[in-house]
Amino acid sequence: MTSIPADRLRDPRSLPPRATTIGGRAAGPRRGPARAPYVFIAPFYVLYVLFMVVPILVAVYLSLCEWVGLGPPHWVGPRNYAHLLTDVSFHRALGNTGVYVLVSVLVIVPVALMMAQGLNARGLRARDLFRVAFFIPMVVSPIVVALIFSLVFDRQFGLANSVLRAVFGLGGFDWLGDPTLAKVCIGLIMLWRWAGYLTIFFLAGLQNVPRSLYEAAELDGAGRFVTFTAVTLPALKPVTGFVAVTSFISAAQIFDEPFLLTHGGPGDATLSVAMFIYRAAFERQQFGYAAAAGVVLFVLVFTISQIFNRLLGIGRAS
Amino acid sequence: MKNLPSPPTPRGTPGPHRAPPSPSPVPGPVPVPGTAPRRTVLRWAAAAGALATAGTATACAGGRAASVRTSGPVTLSLWTHDQGYQDFFARSVPRADRATRFSYRLRVTRAGAQDLVTKLLAQAVAGRGTPDLMGFEIGNFARMLRGDLSARLLRDWTEDVAPLGDDLLAARRAPYTVDGRLYALDSDTPATVYYYRDDLLSKYGIPADLGTWEEVARAGARLYDKHRVSLGAVSTGSDLNQVVQLFAILLYQRGGALFDAHAHPTLDSPEAEETLRFICDGLRTGFLVDVADFYGPSMQTALKRGSVAGLWMASWYKTFGLQPNVPEQSGRWRIRALPRFSAGGGRTSVAGGTGFTAITGKANTEAGAGFLSATWLTEEAQIRRYRELGYLPTRRSVFRSPELLALEDTFCGGQRLFEVYAPLVDHVPAYYQSPDQSILMDVLSGYLIRAYRGDLSPREALRRATSDFRAQASR
Repeated sequence: MTSIPADRLRDPRSLPPRATTIGGRAAGPRRGPARAPYVFIAPFYVLYVLFMVVPILVAVYLSLCEWVGLGPPHWVGPRNYAHLLTDVSFHRALGNTGVYVLVSVLVIVPVALMMAQGLNARGLRARDLFRVAFFIPMVVSPIVVALIFSLVFDRQFGLANSVLRAVFGLGGFDWLGDPTLAKVCIGLIMLWRWAGYLTIFFLAGLQNVPRSLYEAAELDGAGRFVTFTAVTLPALKPVTGFVAVTSFISAAQIFDEPFLLTHGGPGDATLSVAMFIYRAAFERQQFGYAAAAGVVLFVLVFTISQIFNRLLGIGRAS
Repeated sequence: MKNLPSPPTPRGTPGPHRAPPSPSPVPGPVPVPGTAPRRTVLRWAAAAGALATAGTATACAGGRAASVRTSGPVTLSLWTHDQGYQDFFARSVPRADRATRFSYRLRVTRAGAQDLVTKLLAQAVAGRGTPDLMGFEIGNFARMLRGDLSARLLRDWTEDVAPLGDDLLAARRAPYTVDGRLYALDSDTPATVYYYRDDLLSKYGIPADLGTWEEVARAGARLYDKHRVSLGAVSTGSDLNQVVQLFAILLYQRGGALFDAHAHPTLDSPEAEETLRFICDGLRTGFLVDVADFYGPSMQTALKRGSVAGLWMASWYKTFGLQPNVPEQSGRWRIRALPRFSAGGGRTSVAGGTGFTAITGKANTEAGAGFLSATWLTEEAQIRRYRELGYLPTRRSVFRSPELLALEDTFCGGQRLFEVYAPLVDHVPAYYQSPDQSILMDVLSGYLIRAYRGDLSPREALRRATSDFRAQASR
C-alpha cells in the first residue's frame, strides 16, 4: 500500500485528483457523501414509518371513532375513553394485568437470578444441559403449553390434584374455576415459561463479573450473602434493569396464557388488557373501543417503562 | 357487498399516473452525456410500477361483481368450520347441477368458526377474497349483527323463503334475522331432548318417564346418595359459552331467554332465577355433576365410568358427543322429551346451529344462492342432511316424512327418534341474538359458576350479571 506524506494530507489541494467519472459519467462528488448515510438508513425508517408510525397514528384515530370493522368509521371523539373509565371489565383487566406484572417483576426475575447464580456455581456438572432444560419452555408452542397445563390443572382428573391427594390427602382444588387459583395458575405458567429464558441474561451477566471482585471480597472476609449483595447485585445492575423492564413490558401485554388456558375466566378473573382488546375487536366488533384500550395500554407501558429506565439507569454509563 | 368509498385524492397530489415532480430548484450535478438513457429507463420502470400498482388497486377495489354469472360452469368458494358440511356439500354437487343452470365445483376453506368471521371481514375490507358461500356458527353470527355488517355482506333470503311460509320454522329464522330480513339458512333445528342410559336407569330402578324436572331431581338425589351416579351435568370450565349453554337450555325450556326479539337482555327474570336455583340445588344434592369440559375429556370420563346416566342436550349431541366418546355404549342410550318444569315452560329447548349464506354483490352470488337452495332447503336435501350429518330438518313438513319417522337408531337401541322429535317441532323456542351477546356470555359465565359454588345466591348472580352486562354493552 502506498503511503502519503503527512504534510500532503493536511492540504487537500495536494491530494491526487479524485475519480470524477464512473462508467463514463460524473460521480456527483458534492451530493454523494452528504446523502449516502441517509440513503443507507432510509430503508429502515421507511419501513418503520409504514409499519409502526402509521399504524399507531391510525390506531389513535380509530380510538376516537366507532367502527364495526367495515365501512367508514364514525367519529365519536373521546367517548371510547370515557367508557373505559366506567367499564368494570376493563378495570378488572387492568388489575389482573397489574398482578401479572408484579408476578413477573417480583417473582420471576428474582427466581431467574437465583437460577443463574446456581448455574454459575463453580464445579457444576452438565451446566449446558441445565441451561437447555431451563430454556426449552420458552420455545415450546403456547398452544402445547396450554394443553398440557389444562390437563395438569383439571379439577377432577388433573395431575396437580392427583398428586396433592396422594401425598397430602388434599384435593378437589378447582384450579382454573376459582378466580384466585386461576390467577395463581397463570402466574405459575408464566414462571415456568419465562424464568429459564431470563436466566440466560443473568448468566451472561454473571460470567462478566470480574473474578478479582470476588477475590477482594473473600480477602475482606465477606460471606456468601454479603458477596452476593455487595458484589454480584451491583455488578448485575444493568442486566437486572434490562431484564426487569423487558419482563414488565412482556407481562403488561400478556395474552397467550390467559387466552389459551382460561379464556379470561372465570368471569373476568384472569382477563388481561391485551385479551380485553382482542375480545372487543374480534369477538364484539368494537374496533374503536379496542383501539382506545390499546392506546391506554401503550401510554401506561411507555410511561412506566420510561420511569423504570430512569430509576435503573438503563443505557447510561455507570 | 357494497363498494367501500375510497378516500378522495386531494387536488394536485401526485398520483401514480402523474409525471414525476419537476427537478429541484437546488442546483445539482450538471447532466452529462450518458445519463439520459439511464434516466429514461428509470422513468419507464417507475411508470410501469405505477401502472402495476394502479392495476392492483383497481383489482382490489373493483374485483367484485364484474359480471354476474347466471349459468354454466362455476367454482364456488366455500368457507366452513366443519368437515361434515364440507363433505355434505361436496356430495351434493351433482344434485345441485341437476337442479340449477350451473355446473358447480367447490373450493373449500376450513378454519375455526371465529376465525372465519374475522377473515371474512378482513377480506371485505380488502375488497377481494371473500367466499361465495359461508357457514356461520350461530354464536359467531352475532358478530354480524353489529352495525350494518349483515346488510353489507350477506345475501338477503327473505323473498326466497317467503313461498315456504310457516313451513320453514320461524324459530330457526330468528337467530339470523336482522331488522326483519333473513340473512342465513340454518343447518339444523337443534331441539333439546333428555338422553339417558336405559340400562343404568333400569338397574337402579329409576323410571325413565318421570314427568317433571322436580321428580327427576328427587330421584337423582337418591341415586347419587346410593350409587354416586348423577342424572345431569353442567359445565364449569374455561369454555365460557359452554358454561352458559347448559344453563340456557333449561332457561329457554322454562320460558325464559337471554335476549328478546329486539335484542334486549331478558336475563333478570323469575324464570332465569328459578332455573339457576334448580341447577344450584341439583349440584348440592348430587343430582347434577359439574364437569370442566362438557365436550372433552372430563365428560367423556364421566360417561365411560357411568357416573352420568342422563343429560339434557341438543339433538346433535348423539352424533357429535355420545357416539364418538362412548361408542362402546351403543344400544344403551335412549332419548325422550325433556321433563317439564312444574311452574311452566315448554317441552323442549334449543342449543346450537349454523347458518349458511351467500356473500352478496359477487359474480357468484346467485350461483351460490342456487346451490344452497338446492342442497339445503328441499325436502330431499333435509332428509339426506339428517341421515348424513344428524341435523334435524328446518322445515316442519319434513318432520312428518315417512322415511324419517321409520328410521331406527342403532346407538339408541333401535329407537325411532323422530317419534320423539316430531311432536317437539312446534315447541322449539326462538333463539334471538344480540350484537352484545358475547358480553353476556362473558359476564354471565362467571356469575353462573359463582352461583353453582354457592358463593352467590341465584338472584344476586343474575342481578350482578345483568348489571355488568348493561355497564359494558353498547359501547
